[in-house]
Amino acid sequence: MGTDEVGRDLFARVLHGIRISLTIAVLAAMAAVAVGTLVGVLAGTLGGKVDAVVMRTTDVFASQNHFLFGILLLVLFRPALGGAGAVMLAVGLTHWPSLARIVRGELMSLRERPFISAAVGGGASRWRLARRHYLPHLMPAVGLAFVLTVPHAVFHESAYSFLGLGLPAHQASLGNIRADGQRSLLAGGWWIALFPGLAILVAAMAIGTLAEYWREHLHPRWGSELEL
Amino acid sequence: MTELLEVEELSVGFRTRRGVVQALSQASVTVGRGRLLLVVGESGSGTTVLAHALLRLLPRNVNVSGSVRLGGQELLDLSPAELRRVRGRRMALIPQSPASSLNPVRRLGGQLLEAAQARGLSEQQSRTRLRELLGELGLDLAFVSGRYVHQLSGGMQQRIVNAMALVGEPEIVIADEPTSGLDAELVDTTATQLREISARGAALLVITHDLRLAERLGGRLALLYASRIVEVGPTAAFFAAPAHPYGRELLRALPEREGKSIPGMAPELTALPGHCAFADRCPDRFDRCTESVPDLYPVPDGVLARCFAHAER
Repeated sequence: MGTDEVGRDLFARVLHGIRISLTIAVLAAMAAVAVGTLVGVLAGTLGGKVDAVVMRTTDVFASQNHFLFGILLLVLFRPALGGAGAVMLAVGLTHWPSLARIVRGELMSLRERPFISAAVGGGASRWRLARRHYLPHLMPAVGLAFVLTVPHAVFHESAYSFLGLGLPAHQASLGNIRADGQRSLLAGGWWIALFPGLAILVAAMAIGTLAEYWREHLHPRWGSELEL
Repeated sequence: MTELLEVEELSVGFRTRRGVVQALSQASVTVGRGRLLLVVGESGSGTTVLAHALLRLLPRNVNVSGSVRLGGQELLDLSPAELRRVRGRRMALIPQSPASSLNPVRRLGGQLLEAAQARGLSEQQSRTRLRELLGELGLDLAFVSGRYVHQLSGGMQQRIVNAMALVGEPEIVIADEPTSGLDAELVDTTATQLREISARGAALLVITHDLRLAERLGGRLALLYASRIVEVGPTAAFFAAPAHPYGRELLRALPEREGKSIPGMAPELTALPGHCAFADRCPDRFDRCTESVPDLYPVPDGVLARCFAHAER
């Protein structure tokens, strides 16, 4: 892979960058999924006015440009949390609205299913319903949202770092390396931008493959689907 | 003597945009320990609402009045926590359509254990108890544990929910349409199972529209029509000679009797008439029938019938 413009080994930097970027992306996706699930569960189980208020707030968030909103969060939190923490927070707090809507919808239809009233008739408490009956049904949606958010978060980290708002320039995240590579492009150094880009692509594909495996092997409903 | 379950003047109405749907009007029934009560009515007559009202499995837009007492304890005033101790432990429900009453994405073993543990059994006790109970019903705990609902036949699913209801040794079991969608042979099996439940000493309340099942089970029978109980009495007396014209017409509609259907339709529950709800379809109607709602009048053999034809006696 050669070296970058100051003679550092690019392969070593990309490997290190994958570690940093993936850690940030996974944590950010976990935050996004946690917020989205919480908001969706609140709206879906409490219903009524809570539902209306929560969902309109969600609409407001969803209608904003999430990248700009993320930059705002970065500017606010970077002094306190540092680059990595601020990127996690910025991505986590901007990628929950779609999941919140999905979770709410799932809960709305779940609540009407006969096995829920059968469980209540058997003496199930709210907590037991949530843990034993709602959660197993929400897992596919939540899990899918998680694996879709991880590569997306890698892109965001790259973009923020590229703009100089993410990690400090000396830290070898995939985004920072790409930003360096961009400068070298004009001097003919194409590989510096290419390899971190490929690393992002491979990471996204790897996570997607994991998701596919998870979907096929752990979700029973697909096992009973008719052949078409 | 106080009965185990005493339902008095129980009314259930649903507030909807089209007005209040009166699903159950002033229903009074009692079930003694180890006794059997059949609640018979066509779909939409309030049968399932009655079953669900006993366990307070009702949506928020509901008006409930009257009284439901289990062993002298008023159920309609219980707090959610107190209610949870009654549900499943003292009063168990065998839900309608077992296939959709079991969680489709969880293995049955977990669900069975959960049901047992919710009744206060330890894990070890639960396993032993479930193995016994399923064994009596001809199922193997190890066989069903690793499977999902859709992998079992309808009859097996029915036995699973029966086992779940019985595991806590409840004082009363409410079976909601236990034979819907089952073939004749499985109806036989279910009838046998239900009789065994009451033989164990539990009281049994069976909701059904299956008159053949009702005839086979015996006990006492309450006939519902358009949200009201129109006839109560021993099941044998009902099948020998129904006291209410609706019961008479219902039996005549059976294929093995005359196969003659009742003309007209049951009234909408949003607009119940201020007179006998069956008057429009009744062959023996007279003037009084379209003036006011009849009370339950006593008929010989311990039968009560909501019909003016019995008012004079």
